[in-house]
Amino acid sequence: MSSLQDPIRDGIAKGWKIYGGTIKNSPVGTHKPLPASLTCDVAIIGSGAGAGITAELLVKAGLSVVIIEEGPLKSSTDFNQRESEAYPSLYQESAARKTADKAINILQGRCVGGSTTVNWTSSFRTPASTLQFWQEQFGLKDYSVDTLAPYFQQAETRLNIAPWLTPPNENNDLLRRGAAKLGIPAAAILRNVKGCWNLGSCGMGCPTNAKQSMLVTTLPMALDAGAQLLVETRAQRFELANGQVQALHCIPVKPNSGPVNHAQVATKIIAKHYVLAAGAINSPAVLLRSQAPDPHSMLGQRTFLHPVVLSAGIMEQKVQAWTGAPQTIYSDHFLETQAIDGPIGYKLEAPPLHPVILSSTLHGMGKEHATIMGQFPHTHVLLALLRDGFHPQAAGGKVSLRSDGSPSLDYPLTPYVMDGARRALLSMMEIQFAAGAQQVLPLHEMATPYTAWTQAKAAVEAMPMEPLLTKIASAHVMGGCAIAGSEKQGVTRPDGVHWQIDNLSIHDGSIFPTSIGANPQLSIYGIVNRLTQGLVTRLGGKVQALA
Amino acid sequence: MFVCENMRSMQRRSWLKLSVGAAAVLAVAGGAIALVEPGLTKDGALGSAAQRVFSAVSRAVLEGSLPQEATAQDKAITGLLSRVSDLTAMLPPHAQDELSQLLALLAISAGRWGLAGLSSDWSAASAAEVQAALQGMRTSSLALKRQAYAALHDITGAAYFSDPSTWVQLGYPGPSKI
Repeated sequence: MSSLQDPIRDGIAKGWKIYGGTIKNSPVGTHKPLPASLTCDVAIIGSGAGAGITAELLVKAGLSVVIIEEGPLKSSTDFNQRESEAYPSLYQESAARKTADKAINILQGRCVGGSTTVNWTSSFRTPASTLQFWQEQFGLKDYSVDTLAPYFQQAETRLNIAPWLTPPNENNDLLRRGAAKLGIPAAAILRNVKGCWNLGSCGMGCPTNAKQSMLVTTLPMALDAGAQLLVETRAQRFELANGQVQALHCIPVKPNSGPVNHAQVATKIIAKHYVLAAGAINSPAVLLRSQAPDPHSMLGQRTFLHPVVLSAGIMEQKVQAWTGAPQTIYSDHFLETQAIDGPIGYKLEAPPLHPVILSSTLHGMGKEHATIMGQFPHTHVLLALLRDGFHPQAAGGKVSLRSDGSPSLDYPLTPYVMDGARRALLSMMEIQFAAGAQQVLPLHEMATPYTAWTQAKAAVEAMPMEPLLTKIASAHVMGGCAIAGSEKQGVTRPDGVHWQIDNLSIHDGSIFPTSIGANPQLSIYGIVNRLTQGLVTRLGGKVQALA
Repeated sequence: MFVCENMRSMQRRSWLKLSVGAAAVLAVAGGAIALVEPGLTKDGALGSAAQRVFSAVSRAVLEGSLPQEATAQDKAITGLLSRVSDLTAMLPPHAQDELSQLLALLAISAGRWGLAGLSSDWSAASAAEVQAALQGMRTSSLALKRQAYAALHDITGAAYFSDPSTWVQLGYPGPSKI
């Protein structure tokens, strides 16, 4: 347990207005019980990247805010760098959320701060090529590098997004060195940290409060200013009438997201305006449960994942990929050297490794599995995230509801996408051999460790690239409530308001009409910053910039 | 181009097999599941039949990682089963329902035969026999079998290596002191 100052525990002690759930074994005890009803200017569903930015700007403008979060409130005192505690408490479906065919494992936050509490701090502005595609294909004329620049700048200042000056850990430096040997450009990743200890446990929640997540920045600011927070509480559905949200119905949930009581609504929230920021997959689910108008059948469609394939390399030297800032080097070579709507491109990065994530991601069993696990300190891994959404054969997945109202994502892995998986595995393996790997193991059920590039290349070229044989993960869920210049193309207007519901805005990664082609947190911060400043003006408030 | 076309036809084939195969397995399950113990208890923990499945699966999946000495291995498996229960108890209801059905199915002989192709009972099968059964599921053309394999593989590995006692052999230092 961390012995450092905990700004969340301090805030609770000061009397922040927090309802629902409990902090187990906490000296501060339980939060206030959920009230039957609450009234406010704006109700915000979710507490991640989009919700946090929205909340800070609204309270700065003097508006009253209620934030509803399905996950628990955990903070640095709880973040003990243990996967066995972090995954069940901080992630959707215990970090085992899967697509309908189980072929893709999705890492997505479910706690106060959302995915910003558990992400690896990689910060990129929305790439120019992505914005240009949005302008040309989705009628988003105001979404340009220049018009968004000031909003990104403010978010970067507010969240301390800056170059990381500490040398990369060996896991990342291997990407830099291997790419350089092959003449492939690689560059440094900006990070949202302040006084980072370089521990490497970002994915389990930052134990030192260095990561400038929503948990330690915008949310404390909003709570200090009187915002109210409901935790372990699910926004079940909107009550809709006359093209407006009339109320939001919320229910308490258990630690595993199951409803505490199937019988009735616990809390009814009445607001002038509602902001849906529950993240892709969950935001469309709230609208589907509400039977929201969807005249063009766009709701939940075009949900993107940046499908990720991985390759492991065994090095002579120690890599210790668990330690040090998790992601500090990337290469966009395979995004930038081909047309955005040509064969699918991919971004290369390195992931942090810890025992649970490695053992469950690493294919194989018995002695084969044990041998690689036994070489853990020497294991280096690269990942490639495939840029989906820019081609008819990469149209993403569709969110629908199960009989219990929970969302399910059907994401077809088309031959076009899987062709990219094969090329990405080849690129990563070549880089790993160039960096000096003694053995390379692409994560595929039919792969074995290869000792030479020619051998590895021949094997991967012949392998069936099929779902559930190729190991595929995702940590970036986007789309499903796309913004578009025409209501036929999307769910959300370019100003963030739902096309058919006047007093509802959508402020999260679900509004992206394609994937981003980069880790999405800063895209959400910057774009939502602009959307919220517009919303403040329309609600009659006085805009105060984020920074 | 050749690779692409080949892949497309393979995908079509596997989807066709999935629909036929899944129907057969579900027909078995539909009749049998009502009569047998669900895989998970009401609290989401492993039931006794599912414990027998996971016990055999973990000896096969973790061969080479588990302690070799019999008493130490039994102790490690007992700890592992308890951690699998901790893990499954935290899954959301829809995932618990699915896993519960899968484990119930695997625990009865018709399901064990149909899904895993394993003739001996889980408790009687050798690690090599269970590995052969799992290997068949792993590369099966039937998506349902691959899904079942992935669930067993991922849960076993995650539950085993979440415990600090396993970290010494990995050379993983665990949490830093803050």
